[in-house]
Amino acid sequence: MDFKDYYSALGVARDASDDDIRKAYRKLARKYHPDVSKEADADAKMRDINEARDVLQDKEKRAAYDQLADHVARGGSPDGGFRQPPPGWDEGFEFHRGPGQGPADHADFSDFFSSIFGSRGGMGGSTQRGPYRERGEDHHAAIEISLEDALHGAERQLSLRAQEIDANGRPHLVNRTLDVKIPAGVRPGQYIRLAGQGLPGHGGEPAGDLYLEVRIAPHKLYRIEGHDLYMTLPVTPTEAALGAQVTVPTPAGGHVDVTIPKGARNGMKLRIKERGLPGKTPGHLYLLLEIALPPANSEAARAAYEQLAKAAPFNPRQHLGA
Amino acid sequence: MRATTTTVLESSPLTVRELARAVGAEDQWVLRLVEVEILHVDTPSEPPERWHFRSADLQRALAARRLERDFGANLDTAALVLDLQAELRRLRALLGAHGLA
Repeated sequence: MDFKDYYSALGVARDASDDDIRKAYRKLARKYHPDVSKEADADAKMRDINEARDVLQDKEKRAAYDQLADHVARGGSPDGGFRQPPPGWDEGFEFHRGPGQGPADHADFSDFFSSIFGSRGGMGGSTQRGPYRERGEDHHAAIEISLEDALHGAERQLSLRAQEIDANGRPHLVNRTLDVKIPAGVRPGQYIRLAGQGLPGHGGEPAGDLYLEVRIAPHKLYRIEGHDLYMTLPVTPTEAALGAQVTVPTPAGGHVDVTIPKGARNGMKLRIKERGLPGKTPGHLYLLLEIALPPANSEAARAAYEQLAKAAPFNPRQHLGA
Repeated sequence: MRATTTTVLESSPLTVRELARAVGAEDQWVLRLVEVEILHVDTPSEPPERWHFRSADLQRALAARRLERDFGANLDTAALVLDLQAELRRLRALLGAHGLA
Protein backbone atom coordinates (compact mmCIF):
# COMPACT_ATOMS: atom_id res chain seq x y z
CA MET A 1 0.00 0.00 0.00
CA ASP A 2 1.40 3.40 -0.96
CA PHE A 3 1.47 6.25 1.50
CA LYS A 4 -0.81 8.94 0.08
CA ASP A 5 0.33 12.55 0.07
CA TYR A 6 -2.94 14.40 0.52
CA TYR A 7 -1.27 17.81 0.33
CA SER A 8 0.16 17.19 -3.13
CA ALA A 9 -3.17 15.63 -4.24
CA LEU A 10 -4.73 19.05 -3.66
CA GLY A 11 -1.61 20.97 -4.69
CA VAL A 12 -1.36 22.83 -1.37
CA ALA A 13 1.48 23.38 1.11
CA ARG A 14 1.69 21.56 4.41
CA ASP A 15 0.75 24.78 6.24
CA ALA A 16 -2.22 25.54 3.97
CA SER A 17 -5.14 27.23 5.69
CA ASP A 18 -8.65 25.79 5.67
CA ASP A 19 -9.55 28.42 3.10
CA ASP A 20 -6.60 27.42 0.85
CA ILE A 21 -7.71 23.80 1.04
CA ARG A 22 -11.33 24.65 0.27
CA LYS A 23 -10.32 26.77 -2.75
CA ALA A 24 -7.90 24.14 -4.08
CA TYR A 25 -10.51 21.43 -3.68
CA ARG A 26 -13.24 23.38 -5.48
CA LYS A 27 -10.93 24.20 -8.38
CA LEU A 28 -9.91 20.56 -8.84
CA ALA A 29 -13.44 19.26 -8.28
CA ARG A 30 -14.64 21.43 -11.17
CA LYS A 31 -11.74 20.24 -13.35
CA TYR A 32 -12.36 16.54 -12.71
CA HIS A 33 -16.14 16.52 -12.34
CA PRO A 34 -17.32 13.46 -14.33
CA ASP A 35 -19.94 15.47 -16.23
CA VAL A 36 -17.50 18.02 -17.62
CA SER A 37 -14.02 16.53 -17.50
CA LYS A 38 -12.34 15.28 -20.67
CA GLU A 39 -9.50 13.68 -18.67
CA ALA A 40 -9.28 9.91 -19.04
CA ASP A 41 -8.65 9.33 -15.34
CA ALA A 42 -11.16 11.90 -14.05
CA ASP A 43 -12.98 9.40 -11.82
CA ALA A 44 -9.77 8.30 -10.09
CA LYS A 45 -8.61 11.90 -9.68
CA MET A 46 -12.00 12.87 -8.22
CA ARG A 47 -11.75 10.03 -5.69
CA ASP A 48 -8.23 11.16 -4.70
CA ILE A 49 -9.18 14.78 -4.17
CA ASN A 50 -12.36 13.84 -2.27
CA GLU A 51 -10.29 11.67 0.02
CA ALA A 52 -7.62 14.35 0.52
CA ARG A 53 -10.26 17.00 1.25
CA ASP A 54 -12.03 14.72 3.73
CA VAL A 55 -8.85 14.38 5.77
CA LEU A 56 -7.36 17.85 5.45
CA GLN A 57 -10.57 19.77 6.15
CA ASP A 58 -11.12 17.93 9.42
CA LYS A 59 -8.86 19.33 12.15
CA GLU A 60 -8.54 16.09 14.09
CA LYS A 61 -7.98 13.87 11.07
CA ARG A 62 -5.47 16.33 9.63
CA ALA A 63 -3.47 16.47 12.87
CA ALA A 64 -3.39 12.68 13.06
CA TYR A 65 -2.43 12.41 9.38
CA ASP A 66 0.38 14.97 9.85
CA GLN A 67 1.72 12.96 12.77
CA LEU A 68 1.65 9.80 10.67
CA ALA A 69 3.29 11.58 7.72
CA ASP A 70 6.11 12.74 10.02
CA HIS A 71 6.59 9.19 11.25
CA VAL A 72 6.81 7.86 7.69
CA ALA A 73 9.18 10.70 6.68
CA ARG A 74 11.49 9.82 9.57
CA GLY A 75 11.90 6.22 8.57
CA GLY A 76 8.87 4.51 7.08
CA SER A 77 9.10 0.88 6.17
CA PRO A 78 12.27 -0.64 4.66
CA ASP A 79 10.90 -0.83 1.11
CA GLY A 80 9.73 2.75 1.19
CA GLY A 81 6.10 1.64 1.02
CA PHE A 82 3.44 2.09 3.64
CA ARG A 83 1.94 -0.92 5.35
CA GLN A 84 0.03 -0.03 8.46
CA PRO A 85 0.01 2.93 10.81
CA PRO A 86 2.30 2.26 13.81
CA PRO A 87 0.59 1.19 17.06
CA GLY A 88 -0.67 4.13 19.09
CA TRP A 89 -0.22 6.59 16.20
CA ASP A 90 -3.71 7.98 16.83
CA GLU A 91 -3.36 8.35 20.58
CA GLY A 92 -4.97 11.54 21.75
CA PHE A 93 -7.07 12.02 18.62
CA GLU A 94 -10.77 11.53 18.28
CA PHE A 95 -12.45 11.77 14.93
CA HIS A 96 -16.00 12.88 14.38
CA ARG A 97 -18.08 13.10 11.28
CA GLY A 98 -18.51 16.71 10.34
CA PRO A 99 -21.85 18.27 9.44
CA GLY A 100 -22.98 17.65 5.90
CA GLN A 101 -21.00 14.47 5.41
CA GLY A 102 -23.26 11.81 4.01
CA PRO A 103 -22.72 8.15 4.75
CA ALA A 104 -21.87 7.51 1.10
CA ASP A 105 -18.76 9.62 1.29
CA HIS A 106 -16.22 6.99 2.15
CA ALA A 107 -17.48 4.09 0.09
CA ASP A 108 -14.89 4.58 -2.65
CA PHE A 109 -11.94 5.70 -0.59
CA SER A 110 -8.56 3.98 -0.80
CA ASP A 111 -7.13 1.16 1.30
CA PHE A 112 -4.74 3.71 2.73
CA PHE A 113 -7.62 5.87 3.98
CA SER A 114 -9.49 2.87 5.38
CA SER A 115 -6.40 1.60 7.19
CA ILE A 116 -6.18 4.90 9.05
CA PHE A 117 -9.69 6.16 9.48
CA GLY A 118 -11.87 3.09 8.96
CA SER A 119 -14.42 2.67 6.20
CA ARG A 120 -16.63 5.48 7.51
CA GLY A 121 -13.76 7.82 8.21
CA GLY A 122 -14.21 7.87 11.97
CA MET A 123 -12.60 6.14 14.92
CA GLY A 124 -14.74 7.62 17.64
CA GLY A 125 -14.40 4.50 19.77
CA SER A 126 -11.08 5.71 21.12
CA THR A 127 -12.87 7.93 23.61
CA GLN A 128 -16.25 6.72 24.79
CA ARG A 129 -18.76 9.39 25.71
CA GLY A 130 -20.80 7.02 27.82
CA PRO A 131 -23.58 4.65 26.83
CA TYR A 132 -25.86 5.86 24.06
CA ARG A 133 -28.42 4.42 21.72
CA GLU A 134 -28.33 5.09 18.03
CA ARG A 135 -29.47 3.27 14.93
CA GLY A 136 -26.55 2.34 12.64
CA GLU A 137 -25.86 4.57 9.67
CA ASP A 138 -26.95 3.61 6.19
CA HIS A 139 -24.13 2.73 3.85
CA HIS A 140 -23.76 2.98 0.07
CA ALA A 141 -21.91 0.93 -2.54
CA ALA A 142 -22.32 0.09 -6.21
CA ILE A 143 -22.81 -3.24 -7.93
CA GLU A 144 -22.00 -3.84 -11.59
CA ILE A 145 -24.03 -6.54 -13.30
CA SER A 146 -24.36 -7.81 -16.85
CA LEU A 147 -27.26 -6.83 -19.08
CA GLU A 148 -28.38 -10.47 -19.02
CA ASP A 149 -28.54 -10.38 -15.19
CA ALA A 150 -30.58 -7.18 -15.35
CA LEU A 151 -33.02 -8.74 -17.82
CA HIS A 152 -33.43 -12.14 -16.21
CA GLY A 153 -32.55 -11.50 -12.55
CA ALA A 154 -29.71 -13.27 -10.76
CA GLU A 155 -28.05 -13.89 -7.45
CA ARG A 156 -24.59 -12.38 -7.07
CA GLN A 157 -22.00 -12.43 -4.31
CA LEU A 158 -20.67 -9.06 -3.27
CA SER A 159 -17.51 -8.65 -1.20
CA LEU A 160 -17.42 -5.56 0.96
CA ARG A 161 -15.04 -4.30 3.57
CA ALA A 162 -16.95 -2.90 6.48
CA GLN A 163 -16.34 -1.52 9.91
CA GLU A 164 -17.34 -3.45 13.03
CA ILE A 165 -16.97 -2.54 16.67
CA ASP A 166 -14.94 -4.98 18.78
CA ALA A 167 -15.48 -5.92 22.45
CA ASN A 168 -13.47 -2.89 23.59
CA GLY A 169 -15.66 -0.55 21.59
CA ARG A 170 -12.98 0.11 18.97
CA PRO A 171 -13.80 -0.11 15.29
CA HIS A 172 -11.94 -2.47 12.99
CA LEU A 173 -12.32 -3.50 9.38
CA VAL A 174 -13.71 -6.87 8.38
CA ASN A 175 -14.33 -8.41 4.99
CA ARG A 176 -17.77 -9.78 4.46
CA THR A 177 -19.61 -11.42 1.62
CA LEU A 178 -23.23 -10.75 0.85
CA ASP A 179 -25.56 -12.69 -1.38
CA VAL A 180 -27.52 -10.14 -3.36
CA LYS A 181 -30.65 -11.00 -5.27
CA ILE A 182 -30.85 -8.98 -8.47
CA PRO A 183 -34.52 -8.67 -9.40
CA ALA A 184 -35.38 -9.16 -13.09
CA GLY A 185 -35.96 -5.86 -14.87
CA VAL A 186 -33.63 -3.77 -12.72
CA ARG A 187 -32.28 -0.70 -14.52
CA PRO A 188 -29.05 1.26 -14.28
CA GLY A 189 -29.25 3.98 -11.62
CA GLN A 190 -31.79 2.10 -9.54
CA TYR A 191 -30.97 1.29 -5.94
CA ILE A 192 -31.25 -2.08 -4.26
CA ARG A 193 -31.76 -1.82 -0.53
CA LEU A 194 -30.42 -4.49 1.81
CA ALA A 195 -32.11 -4.04 5.17
CA GLY A 196 -29.83 -4.28 8.20
CA GLN A 197 -26.60 -4.51 6.18
CA GLY A 198 -25.35 -0.99 6.90
CA LEU A 199 -23.24 0.05 9.88
CA PRO A 200 -24.01 -1.60 13.24
CA GLY A 201 -26.27 0.20 15.73
CA HIS A 202 -25.31 1.21 19.26
CA GLY A 203 -27.00 0.35 22.56
CA GLY A 204 -29.16 -2.37 21.07
CA GLU A 205 -30.46 -0.23 18.21
CA PRO A 206 -30.74 -1.88 14.77
CA ALA A 207 -28.07 -1.70 12.08
CA GLY A 208 -28.49 0.69 9.16
CA ASP A 209 -29.30 -0.38 5.63
CA LEU A 210 -27.02 -0.87 2.66
CA TYR A 211 -27.96 0.79 -0.63
CA LEU A 212 -26.45 -0.64 -3.80
CA GLU A 213 -26.53 1.48 -6.93
CA VAL A 214 -27.00 -0.72 -9.97
CA ARG A 215 -24.55 -0.26 -12.83
CA ILE A 216 -24.68 -2.33 -16.00
CA ALA A 217 -21.43 -3.43 -17.62
CA PRO A 218 -20.87 -2.52 -21.28
CA HIS A 219 -22.36 -5.17 -23.58
CA LYS A 220 -20.79 -6.39 -26.80
CA LEU A 221 -24.04 -5.92 -28.76
CA TYR A 222 -26.32 -3.52 -26.93
CA ARG A 223 -25.91 0.03 -25.65
CA ILE A 224 -28.30 1.29 -22.97
CA GLU A 225 -29.97 4.71 -23.16
CA GLY A 226 -32.50 5.09 -20.36
CA HIS A 227 -34.99 2.27 -20.83
CA ASP A 228 -34.05 1.70 -24.46
CA LEU A 229 -31.39 -0.51 -25.99
CA TYR A 230 -29.48 0.27 -29.18
CA MET A 231 -27.80 -2.21 -31.49
CA THR A 232 -25.89 -1.67 -34.72
CA LEU A 233 -27.35 -3.91 -37.43
CA PRO A 234 -25.11 -4.53 -40.45
CA VAL A 235 -26.95 -4.99 -43.77
CA THR A 236 -25.67 -5.58 -47.29
CA PRO A 237 -26.09 -2.94 -50.03
CA THR A 238 -28.55 -5.31 -51.73
CA GLU A 239 -30.68 -5.63 -48.57
CA ALA A 240 -30.62 -1.86 -48.10
CA ALA A 241 -31.46 -1.07 -51.74
CA LEU A 242 -34.11 -3.70 -52.37
CA GLY A 243 -35.46 -4.27 -48.86
CA ALA A 244 -35.25 -7.59 -47.02
CA GLN A 245 -36.32 -9.66 -44.06
CA VAL A 246 -33.42 -10.32 -41.67
CA THR A 247 -33.24 -12.19 -38.39
CA VAL A 248 -31.79 -10.37 -35.36
CA PRO A 249 -31.14 -11.55 -31.80
CA THR A 250 -33.20 -9.93 -29.01
CA PRO A 251 -31.72 -8.96 -25.63
CA ALA A 252 -34.00 -11.32 -23.71
CA GLY A 253 -32.85 -14.28 -25.85
CA GLY A 254 -34.41 -15.64 -29.00
CA HIS A 255 -34.68 -13.94 -32.34
CA VAL A 256 -37.07 -11.74 -34.24
CA ASP A 257 -37.59 -11.12 -37.96
CA VAL A 258 -37.16 -7.52 -39.00
CA THR A 259 -38.15 -5.89 -42.29
CA ILE A 260 -35.48 -3.69 -43.81
CA PRO A 261 -37.38 -1.15 -45.92
CA LYS A 262 -36.55 -0.66 -49.58
CA GLY A 263 -34.03 2.18 -50.05
CA ALA A 264 -32.77 2.00 -46.45
CA ARG A 265 -29.87 4.35 -45.66
CA ASN A 266 -26.82 4.06 -43.47
CA GLY A 267 -27.69 5.19 -39.92
CA MET A 268 -31.44 4.62 -40.37
CA LYS A 269 -33.07 3.71 -37.06
CA LEU A 270 -35.62 0.90 -36.81
CA ARG A 271 -37.65 0.38 -33.64
CA ILE A 272 -38.68 -2.96 -32.22
CA LYS A 273 -41.39 -2.07 -29.74
CA GLU A 274 -41.01 -3.05 -26.07
CA ARG A 275 -37.93 -5.23 -26.58
CA GLY A 276 -35.71 -2.93 -24.49
CA LEU A 277 -35.42 -3.04 -20.70
CA PRO A 278 -38.55 -4.51 -19.12
CA GLY A 279 -40.66 -2.60 -16.58
CA LYS A 280 -43.99 -0.87 -16.10
CA THR A 281 -43.18 1.13 -19.24
CA PRO A 282 -40.89 -1.23 -21.19
CA GLY A 283 -38.13 0.30 -23.28
CA HIS A 284 -37.70 -0.29 -26.99
CA LEU A 285 -34.93 -1.94 -28.97
CA TYR A 286 -33.51 0.34 -31.66
CA LEU A 287 -31.52 -1.01 -34.60
CA LEU A 288 -29.07 1.38 -36.27
CA LEU A 289 -28.47 0.23 -39.83
CA GLU A 290 -24.89 0.04 -41.03
CA ILE A 291 -24.32 -0.84 -44.66
CA ALA A 292 -21.48 -3.35 -44.98
CA LEU A 293 -19.83 -3.80 -48.38
CA PRO A 294 -19.22 -7.32 -49.67
CA PRO A 295 -15.44 -7.67 -50.26
CA ALA A 296 -14.27 -7.58 -53.90
CA ASN A 297 -11.94 -10.47 -53.27
CA SER A 298 -12.76 -12.75 -56.21
CA GLU A 299 -13.00 -12.40 -59.98
CA ALA A 300 -16.77 -12.92 -59.83
CA ALA A 301 -17.23 -10.28 -57.11
CA ARG A 302 -15.13 -7.75 -59.00
CA ALA A 303 -17.12 -8.44 -62.20
CA ALA A 304 -20.39 -7.97 -60.28
CA TYR A 305 -19.23 -4.57 -58.93
CA GLU A 306 -18.23 -3.49 -62.43
CA GLN A 307 -21.56 -4.65 -63.81
CA LEU A 308 -23.39 -2.70 -61.08
CA ALA A 309 -21.43 0.45 -61.93
CA LYS A 310 -22.49 0.12 -65.56
CA ALA A 311 -26.11 -0.77 -64.81
CA ALA A 312 -26.68 1.93 -62.18
CA PRO A 313 -24.35 4.88 -62.81
CA PHE A 314 -24.13 6.83 -59.55
CA ASN A 315 -22.06 9.78 -58.38
CA PRO A 316 -22.14 9.98 -54.56
CA ARG A 317 -20.09 13.24 -54.73
CA GLN A 318 -22.52 15.16 -56.88
CA HIS A 319 -23.46 17.51 -54.02
CA LEU A 320 -19.76 18.45 -53.75
CA GLY A 321 -19.81 19.69 -57.32
CA ALA A 322 -17.24 17.02 -58.22
CA MET B 1 -23.18 -13.00 6.51
CA ARG B 2 -26.11 -13.33 4.14
CA ALA B 3 -28.47 -10.63 3.03
CA THR B 4 -31.99 -11.46 4.04
CA THR B 5 -34.12 -8.71 2.56
CA THR B 6 -33.47 -7.28 -0.86
CA THR B 7 -35.78 -4.65 -2.28
CA VAL B 8 -35.61 -2.25 -5.19
CA LEU B 9 -36.75 1.26 -4.37
CA GLU B 10 -39.12 1.21 -7.34
CA SER B 11 -41.23 -1.46 -5.63
CA SER B 12 -40.59 -0.37 -2.00
CA PRO B 13 -40.18 3.42 -2.01
CA LEU B 14 -38.61 5.35 0.87
CA THR B 15 -40.35 7.59 3.37
CA VAL B 16 -39.04 11.07 4.22
CA ARG B 17 -37.32 9.61 7.31
CA GLU B 18 -35.70 6.78 5.35
CA LEU B 19 -34.48 9.08 2.58
CA ALA B 20 -33.04 11.47 5.17
CA ARG B 21 -31.18 8.60 6.86
CA ALA B 22 -29.91 7.29 3.53
CA VAL B 23 -28.18 10.60 2.80
CA GLY B 24 -27.12 11.31 6.39
CA ALA B 25 -29.44 14.31 6.80
CA GLU B 26 -32.37 15.49 8.90
CA ASP B 27 -36.00 15.08 7.81
CA GLN B 28 -36.26 18.85 7.49
CA TRP B 29 -33.55 18.83 4.83
CA VAL B 30 -35.61 16.46 2.68
CA LEU B 31 -38.64 18.77 3.03
CA ARG B 32 -36.44 21.65 1.80
CA LEU B 33 -35.50 19.57 -1.28
CA VAL B 34 -39.19 19.22 -2.09
CA GLU B 35 -39.73 22.94 -1.50
CA VAL B 36 -36.98 23.93 -3.98
CA GLU B 37 -38.19 21.21 -6.40
CA ILE B 38 -35.03 19.12 -6.34
CA LEU B 39 -37.45 16.33 -5.42
CA HIS B 40 -40.95 16.00 -6.76
CA VAL B 41 -43.67 14.16 -4.89
CA ASP B 42 -46.69 12.59 -6.54
CA THR B 43 -49.02 13.79 -3.79
CA PRO B 44 -47.78 17.19 -2.57
CA SER B 45 -51.12 17.95 -0.90
CA GLU B 46 -50.73 14.89 1.35
CA PRO B 47 -48.78 15.30 4.63
CA PRO B 48 -45.02 14.49 4.33
CA GLU B 49 -45.53 11.25 6.30
CA ARG B 50 -47.27 9.88 3.19
CA TRP B 51 -44.68 10.97 0.63
CA HIS B 52 -42.65 8.35 -1.20
CA PHE B 53 -39.28 8.48 -2.93
CA ARG B 54 -37.67 6.18 -5.47
CA SER B 55 -34.18 5.59 -6.94
CA ALA B 56 -34.06 8.80 -8.99
CA ASP B 57 -34.97 10.79 -5.86
CA LEU B 58 -32.20 9.15 -3.82
CA GLN B 59 -29.75 9.86 -6.64
CA ARG B 60 -30.75 13.57 -6.74
CA ALA B 61 -30.71 13.90 -2.95
CA LEU B 62 -27.18 12.44 -2.79
CA ALA B 63 -26.04 14.76 -5.59
CA ALA B 64 -27.57 17.80 -3.82
CA ARG B 65 -25.80 16.78 -0.60
CA ARG B 66 -22.46 16.66 -2.43
CA LEU B 67 -23.00 20.05 -4.10
CA GLU B 68 -23.82 21.56 -0.73
CA ARG B 69 -20.77 20.03 0.92
CA ASP B 70 -18.21 20.27 -1.91
CA PHE B 71 -19.04 23.72 -3.26
CA GLY B 72 -20.98 25.34 -0.45
CA ALA B 73 -23.96 25.57 -2.85
CA ASN B 74 -27.28 26.59 -1.38
CA LEU B 75 -30.23 24.41 -2.33
CA ASP B 76 -31.59 26.81 -4.97
CA THR B 77 -28.21 26.76 -6.73
CA ALA B 78 -28.02 22.97 -6.33
CA ALA B 79 -31.48 22.68 -7.94
CA LEU B 80 -30.29 24.67 -10.96
CA VAL B 81 -27.06 22.62 -11.28
CA LEU B 82 -29.01 19.35 -11.09
CA ASP B 83 -31.45 20.52 -13.75
CA LEU B 84 -28.55 21.52 -16.03
CA GLN B 85 -26.85 18.15 -15.41
CA ALA B 86 -30.07 16.33 -16.31
CA GLU B 87 -30.37 18.39 -19.50
CA LEU B 88 -26.73 17.65 -20.38
CA ARG B 89 -27.32 13.92 -19.95
CA ARG B 90 -30.52 14.06 -22.02
CA LEU B 91 -28.70 15.80 -24.87
CA ARG B 92 -25.79 13.34 -24.69
CA ALA B 93 -28.26 10.45 -24.84
CA LEU B 94 -29.85 12.06 -27.88
CA LEU B 95 -26.43 12.28 -29.56
CA GLY B 96 -25.83 8.64 -28.67
CA ALA B 97 -29.17 7.65 -30.17
CA HIS B 98 -28.01 9.18 -33.46
CA GLY B 99 -24.66 7.45 -33.26
CA LEU B 100 -22.86 10.76 -32.57
CA ALA B 101 -21.71 10.23 -28.97
